Amino acid sequence: MKASVEWLKEYSDIDVDCEKLGDILTMTGSKVEEVIEKGNDIKNVVVGKILEIKKHPNADKLVVTKVDVGTEKVQIVTGAKNIKENDIVPIAKDGAELPGGKKIIKSPLRGVDSCGMMCSVGELGLDIKDYPNQIEDGIMILPEVYEKDLGKDIVDVLNLREDIIDFEITPNRPDCLSIEGLGRETAASLGKKFKNPRKNLDELEVEDKKEIEGLKVDITAPDLCYRYIARVVKNVKIGPSPEWMIRRLKACGVRSINNIVDITNYVMLELGQPMHAFDINSIEGKHITVRRAKNGEKIITLDGVERELDEDNLVIADEKKAVAIAGVMGGQNSEIEEGTQTVVFESAIFYGGSVRKTAKKVGLRTEASSRYEKGLSSENAIRAVNRAVELVVELGAGEEVPGKVDVYPTKQKINKIKLDVNRINDLLGTNISEKEMIDILEKLDIKVENGFAISPYFRMDLEFLADIAEEIARFYGYDKLDTTLVKAEATLGIRTKEQRIEKKIENILVDNGLSEIYTYGFVGEKDLEKSKIRKELVDDAIEITNPLSDEYKLMRPTTIPSMMQILALNNNKKNQNVKLFDISRNYRNINGEVERGEVPLEEKILTIGMYGDDVDFYTLKGLIENVLEASSVNHYDITKEKENSSYHPGRCANLKVGTDVIATIGEVHPEVLMNYDINKRCYLAELNITKVVKYSKQNKKYQEVPKFPAIERDIAIIVDEEVEVGSIEQAIIKKSKRVLKGKRGLEEIRLFDIYRDEKLGKGKKSIAYSLIFRDKTKSLSDEEVNPVMEEIAKELEERFGANLRK
Amino acid sequence: MKEEIAKIKENSIREMGNCEDLKSLNDVRVKYLGKKGELTLVLRGMGKLNPDERPVIGSLVNEVRDELNNLLEQKEKELKAKELREKLDTENIDITEPSKKNILGSLHPITQIIEEVEDIFLGMGYEIADGPEVEKATYNFDKLNTPPDHPARDIQDTFYITDDIVLRSQTSPVQARVMETKKPPIKIICPGAVYRSDSVDSTHSPVFHQIEGLVVDKHISMTDLKGTLEMFAKKCLGENTKIRFRPHHFPFTEPSAEADVSCFVCGGKGCRVCKGEGWIELLGCGMVHPNVFKNCGINPDEYTGFAFGFGVERIAMAKFGIEDMRLLFENDVRFLKQF
Repeated sequence: MKASVEWLKEYSDIDVDCEKLGDILTMTGSKVEEVIEKGNDIKNVVVGKILEIKKHPNADKLVVTKVDVGTEKVQIVTGAKNIKENDIVPIAKDGAELPGGKKIIKSPLRGVDSCGMMCSVGELGLDIKDYPNQIEDGIMILPEVYEKDLGKDIVDVLNLREDIIDFEITPNRPDCLSIEGLGRETAASLGKKFKNPRKNLDELEVEDKKEIEGLKVDITAPDLCYRYIARVVKNVKIGPSPEWMIRRLKACGVRSINNIVDITNYVMLELGQPMHAFDINSIEGKHITVRRAKNGEKIITLDGVERELDEDNLVIADEKKAVAIAGVMGGQNSEIEEGTQTVVFESAIFYGGSVRKTAKKVGLRTEASSRYEKGLSSENAIRAVNRAVELVVELGAGEEVPGKVDVYPTKQKINKIKLDVNRINDLLGTNISEKEMIDILEKLDIKVENGFAISPYFRMDLEFLADIAEEIARFYGYDKLDTTLVKAEATLGIRTKEQRIEKKIENILVDNGLSEIYTYGFVGEKDLEKSKIRKELVDDAIEITNPLSDEYKLMRPTTIPSMMQILALNNNKKNQNVKLFDISRNYRNINGEVERGEVPLEEKILTIGMYGDDVDFYTLKGLIENVLEASSVNHYDITKEKENSSYHPGRCANLKVGTDVIATIGEVHPEVLMNYDINKRCYLAELNITKVVKYSKQNKKYQEVPKFPAIERDIAIIVDEEVEVGSIEQAIIKKSKRVLKGKRGLEEIRLFDIYRDEKLGKGKKSIAYSLIFRDKTKSLSDEEVNPVMEEIAKELEERFGANLRK
Repeated sequence: MKEEIAKIKENSIREMGNCEDLKSLNDVRVKYLGKKGELTLVLRGMGKLNPDERPVIGSLVNEVRDELNNLLEQKEKELKAKELREKLDTENIDITEPSKKNILGSLHPITQIIEEVEDIFLGMGYEIADGPEVEKATYNFDKLNTPPDHPARDIQDTFYITDDIVLRSQTSPVQARVMETKKPPIKIICPGAVYRSDSVDSTHSPVFHQIEGLVVDKHISMTDLKGTLEMFAKKCLGENTKIRFRPHHFPFTEPSAEADVSCFVCGGKGCRVCKGEGWIELLGCGMVHPNVFKNCGINPDEYTGFAFGFGVERIAMAKFGIEDMRLLFENDVRFLKQF
């Protein structure tokens, strides 16, 4: 909301400059977006008279002029075509400043000194539309009457100075979308008296009539229209508005159209109530009905666009057609025109929610609709329509028809709130006296009667004690509030198990050289395809009804596509050795939760993505094992996974607790890599942190450090390539257990060498283990260990066809 | 006999003196004091002496042996010290050669800010709460005093899954969920991703992160809110940070405020980051609206509370000097490694 300071001064004395005023109002809650001081950017430009014009000795297109600038006569060189001797023109003198920061300095033009510049409308920062007699590409020629002002500052002569403050008004304060409302805030903020220049409107009584000049009004949708008042003026002379009105409208960003339309806009700016004016003759049957639109009903609005409506939209209609979209815009069919003689002023109150929806549906957010949607006061509506009639008479634009047609089905509620001084001080943490509170409230026209604060008609936002507390705090001063710390029952500030595990995981990954990424939860269908996501997951994806784009259409059921995108980006940027992780969520609509109005499953997932010289499947496996160890998940199995279509079928594994898959790790499927234009092997891991937390068991118990020596034995075997080392290990462990019992046993098994060589035979590999045996109660003897080794060798030979290497 | 012993002593001392290392010293020891050493042999040959001489010679031999042993020991110490000196001299290294360090990764700037904030509030007794991102409209709006016709529910601002399910547009629904399940005193913060229908540019992102705070108890006041935020601002942005409250409006708080902090880049003098104003708009806050309490089953006559919420990206960008928000979500490893 733009407000002219000159207009505000009608409501409150203002004895501070604009910047200061802006600061003060910001601190009382009317936030200032911008202070515009018009005219301040024009310096040292005066009224001058051209005394003579001579040819330039060195240039055909230039002339040399002599100009009287009041105090002296100066020589100015110009290329202007539209000037003649004795013209009165604005002269930017040597050292002048023009809007946009342009500076005028005395200098020679083609060898002839020029001591200033004649200005065009545009060069003075003015709008050519406001000066219809001037030309755009020539010097501004002032009327002869200005000869008396020779040498005077053009800003004063043309009255160009205007201070404007642009406010950001919060949606709870539609009353401040008016000069009156801002004026009240200004007076209260500056500690001045609110002058209330429209006090007469509060006392005015206008007789209720069933009809005036034959005009009747009905409301058939009282749920959407709380009040509709019509007043009429006749013998109207449509014409231009007076300059003071045009000027105020302009300062608030509204262009003048004609006196009647300007009056509706002026009243809206002044009092905050949108108004509409109809030509009474365009209302068929002189019968206005406020009704819901019919489905598919069409109306051409004032801007010349045809709009289609439905039952949720409210219209102002005559007996045949809609003449306005309620609260949004009037129709072309009832527009005020040159020959209009009798005008109906409408001042109505519509349900804000409905106006908002309608404005959105027809794609037309207007000054009126943006006020209505915040909820306006029915008691203000009557003031506005009376003010409009008053202005018509004042401007001599027509004659008042006495009486009003006023349909007012839902009376505005006035709230009474008990002024509980202690609770207000408790809530604010202050110690403000009752008197001080009442003083503040009365400055805002909030009366206090019998210990109750009464919400004034224009303050429909005041409902609760907290609202009253805010008013008091605003004018007590938010900056005067103390800073205290919560003095309440002690609470424990501690991370949950999940949060602790998450931090541990982050630390391990960072220690291992991984960098954390942040990705959007959105994916597109294409991303799911490119990453070859399995169908059962694709089916869980959740669709956004109003996505920004196709790539952001779905909530991802898996984090793989997000990671693949980032790997692709880094590869594309030629980044070497990229190791990334992301702790984020997937979103899965597994059992139709969303359709039932329930929230879907969200799982916290650690995603790792890597490529580079120093990573392979086993790097990834090691990382995940480290992560699980740090998370105290001690028992899990690793099984080969061939069905997960995003991964290389020969290089993918699931980590399971029982049958529950807690992680999947592997090399990215070559087709997926191709889809993302990645030319190197990439590795992916997904670890379900929600499940990790579930299986995390922190029950560490001290084990006695061994006192007796161990016996270490190596065993090397040759087996077929297909034999998995995991099963060999299992066999060794099982056999050791069976042979050595009691406190004796295999303490550690370590694979220390795998190699492949033609000498071993095709499809063969050699595997070497180091085994450590120990007896916790005494020194173990070779005699005890030898049979174990023999049994192991035998077992491996029988089960895996292993050849023992000697 | 005596001369022989004196000779042995003299020879052995001389040879000892010539020893350059431990090995030759040991050879001297064996030569004279070993099982077949010269002095040992003297002792063994004592049987041939007459009984009068035996004790005299015996004690002489022992005397010499002890003396030699002492000298040997002393010499050994000297040689060991010399060897150590030589060893240390040869093992000098160039400590400016490259280390064998682990190459560390990095936490994302957003995580770093969130953790910093979490630590400050954990220290003040807050718990960290969490809630769904795909959220019921009732939690995102209705319970927070934002009824169905409220402008904040516009489809332009919020992503909808169905009429009843949205992508949370703020972290505030977590407040409502906590108040419904927990009795006061409540002290929580909830960091997390939120979604708004903004196109991506240098200052906007459809996904960004907020940290929400909520305190509910008896006698919680607006000065507590101001003090808490001041404490937070000082710890997070620097001890000299000042805080300024301006009245504002939010549906879920009353009174409401916007809090500015003195610019932590220029200290309030005015710079590019604060657009010359000296203040940076940091967050929205206020006292929990009585309707919100009612909607979440807390008696507004018994309890009061405050809530605040702010964007993490803005703080991260200002603190780390990142000028384009898109960098935070592009995830170029050359960017990430800087943090």
